[in-house]
This record gives sequence, structure tokens and C-alpha cells, in this order.
Amino acid sequence: MKIERIGMSDLRSSIEQSAPTRRKWPWIAGAAVAVLLVAGIGLAVGRGGSSAEASDDGTPVRGGTLQFALIDYQRSPDPQWGTNYAESLIGNNITDKLTWQDPDTGEITPWLAQSWEYNKELTQFTFHLRKDVTFSDGTPFDAAVVKANFDQYVHGDQKLGINPNGASLLPGYLGTDTPDQYTAVVRFAKPLASFLQASSFTANAQPGFLSLSTLKLSSAERADPKKIIGTGPFVYESWEQQVKTVLVKRAGYHWAPASIKHQGEAYLDRIVFNTIPEASVRTGSLVSGTIDATLDVGTTDEKPLADKGFTIISRGVSGTSIFFNFNSQLFPTNDIAVRKAIQLGWDRDAITKTVLTDSYSVATSVLAPSVSGYADYSGSVLKYDPEQAKALLDAAGWVPGPDGIRAKDGKRLTVKLLGISNLVVNKPAYESVQQDLTKIGIDLQLSVVPIPDYTAQVAKAKTDWNITAANRSRNDPAVLNLAYGPQLGNASFLTADSTGIDVAEVSATLGKLELTLDPAERKAAAKAAQDLLLEKYALVSPIYNPAQVIAHADYVHGIIFDAQSRNHFVDAWKSDGK
Amino acid sequence: MLRYVALKTGRAAFVVWAAFTLTFVLLFVLPANPVDLLFDPTELNTVPPEVREQVADNYGFNKPVLLQYADRLGHALTGDFGSSVQSGRPVASAILDVLPETLLLSAGALVLAVLAAVGIALVATSTRRAWVRNVVEALPSGAVSVPVFLSGILILQVFSFKLGWFPAFGDDGPRSIVLPLITLAIPVAGPIAQLLVRSFATEFHSGYVTTSWAKGATRGGIILRDVLRNASLPALTIAGITFGNLIAGSVITETVFARKGIGRLTQNAINTLDVPLVQGIVVFVAVSFALINLFVDLIYPLLDPRMRAVVEAQK
Repeated sequence: MKIERIGMSDLRSSIEQSAPTRRKWPWIAGAAVAVLLVAGIGLAVGRGGSSAEASDDGTPVRGGTLQFALIDYQRSPDPQWGTNYAESLIGNNITDKLTWQDPDTGEITPWLAQSWEYNKELTQFTFHLRKDVTFSDGTPFDAAVVKANFDQYVHGDQKLGINPNGASLLPGYLGTDTPDQYTAVVRFAKPLASFLQASSFTANAQPGFLSLSTLKLSSAERADPKKIIGTGPFVYESWEQQVKTVLVKRAGYHWAPASIKHQGEAYLDRIVFNTIPEASVRTGSLVSGTIDATLDVGTTDEKPLADKGFTIISRGVSGTSIFFNFNSQLFPTNDIAVRKAIQLGWDRDAITKTVLTDSYSVATSVLAPSVSGYADYSGSVLKYDPEQAKALLDAAGWVPGPDGIRAKDGKRLTVKLLGISNLVVNKPAYESVQQDLTKIGIDLQLSVVPIPDYTAQVAKAKTDWNITAANRSRNDPAVLNLAYGPQLGNASFLTADSTGIDVAEVSATLGKLELTLDPAERKAAAKAAQDLLLEKYALVSPIYNPAQVIAHADYVHGIIFDAQSRNHFVDAWKSDGK
Repeated sequence: MLRYVALKTGRAAFVVWAAFTLTFVLLFVLPANPVDLLFDPTELNTVPPEVREQVADNYGFNKPVLLQYADRLGHALTGDFGSSVQSGRPVASAILDVLPETLLLSAGALVLAVLAAVGIALVATSTRRAWVRNVVEALPSGAVSVPVFLSGILILQVFSFKLGWFPAFGDDGPRSIVLPLITLAIPVAGPIAQLLVRSFATEFHSGYVTTSWAKGATRGGIILRDVLRNASLPALTIAGITFGNLIAGSVITETVFARKGIGRLTQNAINTLDVPLVQGIVVFVAVSFALINLFVDLIYPLLDPRMRAVVEAQK
């Protein structure tokens, strides 16, 4: 309310100022000063008032509705399905997972599973479940529920029209055994160390548990949000496609992960997730006080909002950085000298200064710093050294042509890049790299396109594109095996006859990440994998670490970013409790 | 007369069938695979082939293209367009769900646009001051040239963020439809006003007006009694264009104001290559389009005696 009133006085004063006559100006200036003073006092009083209520000691206040805004909308209330942020974020607040990954340490900690053990081969994971967890319809959460969920999650159900949403998260899933009511044994055909992290997964198509009655519903029936039953701290009140999703708190919830200090019921009575596609409408609504917080804050909006007194919170996306994956088969990126020159050939400072905000950072490895096993390569190959890059190209026989672009055997050093335009930072960042590479004689050609076009081109990436630029969100070092493993994602298109690359070595080195859960061994395996991808074979040039950014009013507290940078609201509260 | 009706109806049916077939062809000629768009784009290369197969099977994308076409056409004839690939909901219910919102918005915007257009034409014709006429006559071209996107955001800045008179997004109550209505009415009013201004001017200088002058009628009387009636008729002929403007404008208006509706549904369906949904919407729009044109074709002879003579002569 206060903010609105200030907005009006601003306009009034600007209208008054817009019709100035010379004789009147001292009067107008006086009026403007008065208006500003009143506004300032109003603001100060408003702030003072709210912070007095806000209990400076940080004691949370119960009650209230949080108006939250974001770009995407939920296309279906079914949380196991979904490929956008609205879907995963809302899913996280109505369902719980077996485990919780600590966002600070990356450690897997208990949640619906109190404890767990696994066999030496890492093909069998035994979870001992909490016995006091219930779904919001009163039915118990037990091993049978875990089995039914995983079975449908991995295999889908053709009759119900349910897709195999979890098939790529749990490769080689054989089944779940239930030796007793609260023990679930999940079995895999091959060792899958990353399953432990997968059991906590909170991003797209997440393994959040649904009641047995929900699993029996067809995809069309799951359009009724009241029938989607989870164990989470919130339950659906309504879902209006394209417009909003409303959640209300679940009475009696008391099983939030132990590492969130607050295990009980959510403080907020209600959260409204408003879909607002337009950036200026999101920020305008925040400033005018219609909404309390918004995700999807653009880089250019961060500073103006912070200057207006809004709090900016963010977390880097855990997984890989935004990377340039080199096609190791296609000319000219089949030449390791070209790949290494690209790694060295662009100015990190320029991107930091002109493109990124404090919420983002330049990549210093192919893994984001928050992923366990991350190592820093900014001192070795991931640094700006144009002289060394030129020397590498000279030595490999790339000779500068009349326009400065190098050539070898009459073929130009033209590198074609395919990227996605979904993140606003991508294009300017790539253009900055492009300018720097031109200076060392590499012609980088950019195609940064919307998702459907990207999807269409990825199918032809092996033969048409030297570089694919994207990222993968998964807070586990095994993401490197998923993305680059020659039998899996094979992002560099390695084959037995890739020039100068021992494919068996790559398979073995990356594959090792799935074979151990011993922290020290895993760290070593992650280091070996990064050494190989970045230093030895130079298969990737990481660019920057993307982030999720929220701006909220100063009376909002306790919005959590989890290990996958999705938000949880069990601990969130508003100072005024309204 | 019967032949005239049959001819027009047949043409309408052809347009709808052509729209159906063309979207089908377009969607299959496009390089992207609709199944791929169901997965996270950055994880595409790790989706196991058998999973992709199973998903394609779920939506019938694995059958031969001709069979898919026949299958879809057959079902479409009974009003069944299948289920949306993206949400799993039946296409018909997805469309019907958001239809009332768009209908309300476009009907309201149409009324507003017509009122504004008639107002502009009346002022331009009745004023005796040349500068007023010039200013008013410039308005329609202005309305057509300002992008809906821009006018929407400007209107929001002033009336929602600064003054706080109307909500900026969503659809809670009648207050939230005011700004979208105005935003959408502007580009729709443009062409109608342009046409009316011109036909008002033509009619105003025609013979029967001179007769009225001679009989001693007042300027206002002539404009309201004689000119308005005769000059408004041609506006009907651009009903199709107006409908197109409403649909195109609603895509942007609904996005800027975060309202649900056919426009946003369409945009999303196209972005995600949701074949059944896109087809359902295109056929729906084509049917509406054909019906409007058919209606205009059929009603025109009733309104304009000259047309009746032409139709009679064809017999």
C-alpha cells in the first residue's frame, strides 16, 4: 500500500513538472521537494513499521498468502511429469522425496527414508522408511507406495496415458522389493552410484511420491488438482492452466528434512504461483506491491530492483556449467589444437563485466562449483591466453588469411555453434566469445535459437554442428558420465576412430563415477573425468555458470533454494503474516 | 438462391478441410520431432531409444504418415481431435476450457472497437474544422501501426503500476478485463475506422445527400439518418479481417496480461509442436472464420438490395 501511494505522488509531481512556466518554477521545485520529503518519510515510517512487526530477532510469523510470480505455468498438476520450472517447483512443495541433498555440502541426508544402505556393486539400495508419514488423504506412506511409484515412474502406463517420466533418471531399473512394510529395496541391472542423488532429485520429472489412488488415475484425470495427493507441506487448492496454481498448507505436516531447521507445518497459509510471461509485468507488479516475490529476474532488472529496496537471492544451477561441447568428428573441431585454442581464446573478464551479474559466474570447470568433486581449472586451461592460443594454431598449421581468419589446406577455420536462446545471458555471452575468437583467427558462427528449433537441430548435431551449447542440471558428478559417456550422451560424438582420442579410456574414466560412493574415491574419479574432458582431450569449453534469481520484498523471509536450485516454501514467512 | 447458398457453404467446408490438411502437412514437414519436445532439450541425447519409442507409441506418432492423417481426419469429423501431447488432456476440453475467456475478451474488444470507429468516422465527417478532421483521420493509421505489445505495456505502466486503478495480470473479476479490452480494441478499431471514414466521405458527397440538403435537412440529420446507414454496410465485408485481427491481437494481449485464452494456448501449442492441439485450434479458427464469412455472404443480399438483384440474376 505504502509503495503504491509513493508511486502516485511520483506521477503527480511529474505531471506538475511537465507543465512548467518560468515564473512558477521555484514553487514547483518546492512542491517537488515537499512531495519527495513526504514520500521519504512515508517510506521510512512504512519500513520502520514493518521491521518492528517483522521481529528483528527473526522469529517467523505464521499465516498469510505469498503471491509469487514466474514465467512458466504448470501444464498438468502431475508432479512426476514436467519439464519446466513451474512444474518442478510446485511439485517440490506438494511431494517429498526419499532423501534430501544438502544444498551447501551436496551431502545426501535423510528425508522420507531415515537411513539406507547399498551393496558393494551399487546395484541394490535398501531404504528404511519413516513410519509416521501420511498422504494428505490420510493413507500411509510405506514400501508398497515406493514400489508402485517407481514402477510407474520408470515404465509409464500406456493404458492410463502416463509416459515413462523417470526412465532416463533411473536407467537399468529392475524393480523394488518390499521385505517389510517400511523397507524398500530398489534394484538395478548395472551399478548406479548416482541413484542415491537421484532419490533426492527435485528438478524436472522428479520422483516425488504420489498416493496409490493418484497413481491409478489417467493423464486426463490428473488434470483435477484435488485428486493429486502427496505427502508434502502444501496441498493443491486450485490449478488454472496458464494463469495460476494455488497451494494451501497441509495441517499436521512434521517431516521436513532435518537439515531444514524447521520440520513442522509451513508458516504460510497459502502460496499463489502466478504465471506472468512478460518480464516488465513481473517487475512492475513486484514494485507496485501486487506480488511479494518473483522468480525469473532478468540480468538487467537485478540492480534497479535492488536499488528500490528489494532483496535479490540466487543460487547457481548445480550440474554442468553452460558449455561449448566440441564435435570431435567434424572438421575443424576434430583438431585438438582448435579445441584448445577456443578454450584459451576468449576473455573471461569481458563477460563478467559486460554480461553477467553477481548472481552468475564465469565457469572454471565443466562442473558447477556446488557439485561435489568440482575442481578449478582457471589456472590451467580455462583462462584467457590469446598468445598461447595463436601459438597452438600456428603449430598445427593454421595460417591467417587476408581477412584474419585462419585456414589450413585451403579450408577456413569456421566453427559452427548451435545454442538455445532460453536464457537471456546466452546470446550476449556467446557473442563476446565470438569477438575474441575472431582476433585469434577463428570464425565462430552462432545459431542461438528457441527450444523447438534447437531440438530439431540437435538430431543433426553429429554431422552439422561443431559446437552444441547448453547445460545439464544434476547435482552429482556422474552428470559428466551422463553427458559425455560414449555409451550415453556422447556429447563429443566419440567413436573408435576419433582422431587422437582413446575412447575406451574415456568410457572407463567417466564410467567410474557410477561405480563408487566412497567420497574420496568419487572425488578422485571426478577429478580424473574433468582432467580428461578439459585438459587431455579438450572436449569442452565451459563458459559460465547459470543461476536462478528471485527478487522479493523485504518482508518476505525463508525462501529455500535446494541442491537443484528449486524453491521450497515450508520455511517461508511474511513479517506481517498477511 | 439455393445455388448461391450451396456454393458458399461448399466453399466454407473446403476452407476448413484445407486448413486441417495444411497444418498436418506443415507439422510433419517441420524438422523437429514432437516426441523430442516432450523431453528436457538438454538431456535429449541421453533419452534411451526404447523410451522414445514408447512415448511415440502413446501418441500414435509411430504409424505411417498417411494412416495418421486418415486416422486424425476420421476422428476430427466426429469432433475428436485426440489428446494434447503436452498436457494429456483432450483437445476439445482444452479449447472449450479457455474459449469463454477469449470470447468475452474479443466480443468486448469488438464492441469497443466498433464504437470507437463509428465515433471517429462521425467526428471526421461532421466537423467543419479541417484540422480536427486531419487529426481524427490520422488516428486509425496510428492505431494500426502501434504494436499491440507496446500499447499493452504502456497502458499497464500508467493505469496499473503508476495509478493502481486496474490489476496488471490474471482474471479476477470485471476490473481485470478493462485494460486488455482497450489494448485489443485499438488495433481492431484501426481498419474499421479507416474503412468507415472513407465510405462516410464517399456517401456524404453522393446524390441522395444533395437531395436531402435540397429538402432542407440539417447536417447532423443527414449524417445520422442517411450516411450512417449506407456507409456502415461495407464494414461487414471486412468482418473476416476483423476476426483475424482479434485472434492475432488476443495472442499478444493474453500474453502481456497473463490471461488464459485461445491466443496463449495457440502460442504454446506451436512452440511445443503439440500436433493434436495445434490442429484442433486451427480447425476451430477455420470453422469460425468460414462461418463468419458464410454468414456475411448470406446476409449481405438481405441488407443490400443491389446484391439481391445480382443473386437473382444468377438464377
